Amino acid sequence: MTTKYSRDDTKMLFAKLRETEDPELREQLARLHLPLVEYLAKRFKDRGEPLDDLIQVGSVGLLKAIDRFDLDRGVEFSTYATPTIVGELKRYFRDKGWAVRVPRRLQELSLRLNKVVSQLTQDLGRSPTVSEIAKAAEVSEEEVLEALESGQAYSTTSLDAPAGNDDDDTPQRLERMGEEDVALENLEYFASLAPLIEQLPEREREILYLRFFKGMTQSKIAEHVGISQMHVSRLLSRILEFLRSGMEGDADY
Amino acid sequence: MTPSGVITVRIPAEAGHVPLLRTAVAGVAARQDFTLEEVDDLRMGVEEAAVLLLRRSASQPIELHLEVTGDGLDIRLETVIDGDEPAIDTSSFSWTILSALVDEVASTREGNRARIALAKRRTQGIPA
Repeated sequence: MTTKYSRDDTKMLFAKLRETEDPELREQLARLHLPLVEYLAKRFKDRGEPLDDLIQVGSVGLLKAIDRFDLDRGVEFSTYATPTIVGELKRYFRDKGWAVRVPRRLQELSLRLNKVVSQLTQDLGRSPTVSEIAKAAEVSEEEVLEALESGQAYSTTSLDAPAGNDDDDTPQRLERMGEEDVALENLEYFASLAPLIEQLPEREREILYLRFFKGMTQSKIAEHVGISQMHVSRLLSRILEFLRSGMEGDADY
Repeated sequence: MTPSGVITVRIPAEAGHVPLLRTAVAGVAARQDFTLEEVDDLRMGVEEAAVLLLRRSASQPIELHLEVTGDGLDIRLETVIDGDEPAIDTSSFSWTILSALVDEVASTREGNRARIALAKRRTQGIPA
């Protein structure tokens, strides 16, 4: 199997593919051009979506390009494929509602405020207020509110992202093992919820327990579990949403 | 300097409108020096309470009343409900959630009007 990029290989593979329609050839072409997808996906990596997801989205564009490419056009496949892949990535962000709806100014402020918030959380030992954020970032409180709201809208959409892609193998993880049983027992006291709670990943179950049964704050949980407070917040909303819809019918976490 | 008075938001009894209540409470709380985390708690709490009422609602609007107090925020959610039971079963999981999210939670009923009252105080300045 060759994965090294070569124009001649590409031409040959395309010729064979058009002739035989062999899906194996299509796949080989896709593999051959994956570095192009990776390169293009990286250009979008600072927008808050995991690179792996972007590569996947870009790959969809690549496959479309492979299916539509016409050898007789006399252009290189990579030249032809680039706009298709980029188009797919752009559409992904557009569908996510971020790139288009939220003005650039707010996106930038929102990203900057994220940093200010984590710094303040560290300095104060608690979550900051809007006025504290405004002071630290040297913008008005209304601007902070505006940016937070746009950021919030954005986080809400990224709830669809698969959970559990944080590093689960943090050292604290081992120390926490013993607490698991307690968590389950307490949560399962609510018999109607037990089957739903069982569907939650271990980490989500623990977060649920710590927040609602131990009364731990989000920041404390964040520290304990080794993820950011914002992430804890997102997970909590998502867990509650899941439990609610689960009680009313069926739901998948 | 702080504006006073009760802010009311009324939504039709449809789940699709509940996010508006979340936004309203967050907007008020964030302007009242609650920490971001507390704002988040309030958002979740109001949603939980609204969903509880929605399940029991006799297709009547759900009202959210927000009142800024000296040390925090008083929140009332009200609607007209069917049946004779109280608005919330206090042994339910939702009740546990609400109790963790706010400082006070009460469920009352007058005639066919059910009310869930939540109160949250600012802890600004008190380390977590």
